[in-house]
Amino acid sequence: MSELSLEQIESRLRASAAALPYPPTPDVAGAVRSRLAPSRRPTRMATRVTWATVIALATLAVLLTVPQVRAGLLEVLQVGAIRIFLVPPTATPTATLPPLTPGATRLPTGTSPPTATQLPALLDMAGETTLAGAQSLAGFTIRLPSYPTGLGPPDRVFVQEMGGALVVLVWLDPDHPERVRLSLHEFGPDSYAGEKFEPKVIAQSTVHSQPAVWTEGPYLMQLRSGDMDIRRLIEGHVLIWQEYGITLRVETDASLEEAVKIAESVR
Amino acid sequence: MTFPERLVNDAELVTRARRADEAAWETLTRAYAEAAFRLAYLILGDPDDADDVAQEAFIRAYRALNQFDLARPFRPWLLSIVANLARNRLRSAGRYLAALQRAARADPEAHVGAPADSAAAEAREVWQAVKRLGQTDSEIIYLRYFLDMSEADTAQTLGVAPGTVKSRTHRALERLRSVVANDFPTLREGWGRGTRP
Repeated sequence: MSELSLEQIESRLRASAAALPYPPTPDVAGAVRSRLAPSRRPTRMATRVTWATVIALATLAVLLTVPQVRAGLLEVLQVGAIRIFLVPPTATPTATLPPLTPGATRLPTGTSPPTATQLPALLDMAGETTLAGAQSLAGFTIRLPSYPTGLGPPDRVFVQEMGGALVVLVWLDPDHPERVRLSLHEFGPDSYAGEKFEPKVIAQSTVHSQPAVWTEGPYLMQLRSGDMDIRRLIEGHVLIWQEYGITLRVETDASLEEAVKIAESVR
Repeated sequence: MTFPERLVNDAELVTRARRADEAAWETLTRAYAEAAFRLAYLILGDPDDADDVAQEAFIRAYRALNQFDLARPFRPWLLSIVANLARNRLRSAGRYLAALQRAARADPEAHVGAPADSAAAEAREVWQAVKRLGQTDSEIIYLRYFLDMSEADTAQTLGVAPGTVKSRTHRALERLRSVVANDFPTLREGWGRGTRP
């Protein structure tokens, strides 16, 4: 063999390192959470949240023992392209899950999600375009809210490829233009499922008499499509529902009542 | 209505985790679980051991969060804990593991099963060659090339100066070249293709 330069060795090393077939990464986060749970000393606020979660989960556990209720509840927890985990995914079989709604893709369970090294802010998302540009890419009619009064067109528009198109419309706070006042995610019919990990508050609601889900942060939201993995820490409140053949998701710090008004103004 | 979200960096997540914010800690563990597991796996060569070490590293990191310097990146700090735990486990495994390692050196494919394709097979052979370098050289190659860390982050992980990383990397690459040339004929041929005579 002719002697390789160190630069060539480096190059071969990098190529080989990228090709090394590692075993699947286990659910380290879940195991760590379980191991830390008894030793944590929650604050009073954390204690209240924990008790709320315990009560909610206990109620859910009781309801899940009734088959007809189980079907209804789980259907609500899978709203269009959004799947909500009350607890993180584990290796527990998911055979009891009902069929997904058309256009949504079941994500693999029992495997830990791919990791990312940062949580991008909404305004740092790639795929920024104009409303007209988004409409030409979306493959469905983009809907806009007319409430609150005087809202106007979105200040920022993004399109992400998530199997189908995901259109993200952002309205900024006029007094603090670096801040987001309101955002509306519109998942096209073929979009991949999004996941929410352990939202602190979850409630059922309706938008135009259709089932809707209300979650409150903070929690981790993850959108996955192939190798792409977008993660954001959601600190606000989110209302999710299906209408016009797409999945819609309003994100704001408003109350549930206000969020429903916004949602019902979307046309 | 304002401000439903914003950029969250590691320092802020650590700050929140110090205040028992479980969502913040969950975010950090999910973000760095793969890197922790892979570094442990590279050092130990066993997925179950690597899982144990990765978990333990996060547990210790959580309990030492108050010692973390918020001005520095979290990942190298975590990986320094992973590397320490993995080294300790290697040492504590004693003679039995040493015998297994000798067996692995005699037959580099014995522990890794049949290769799925030529790139994966070559990658495994490279890994076996790197293992032959000894702890100091192999760890610097794992961090720089397998985990694609910068010199600065590698320096923080190993607790040495950036200049030391540069010189150790140079030395490790020279030794790797020698190991491949002497003991890995298939790899030597593959790497030799296309080089100048």
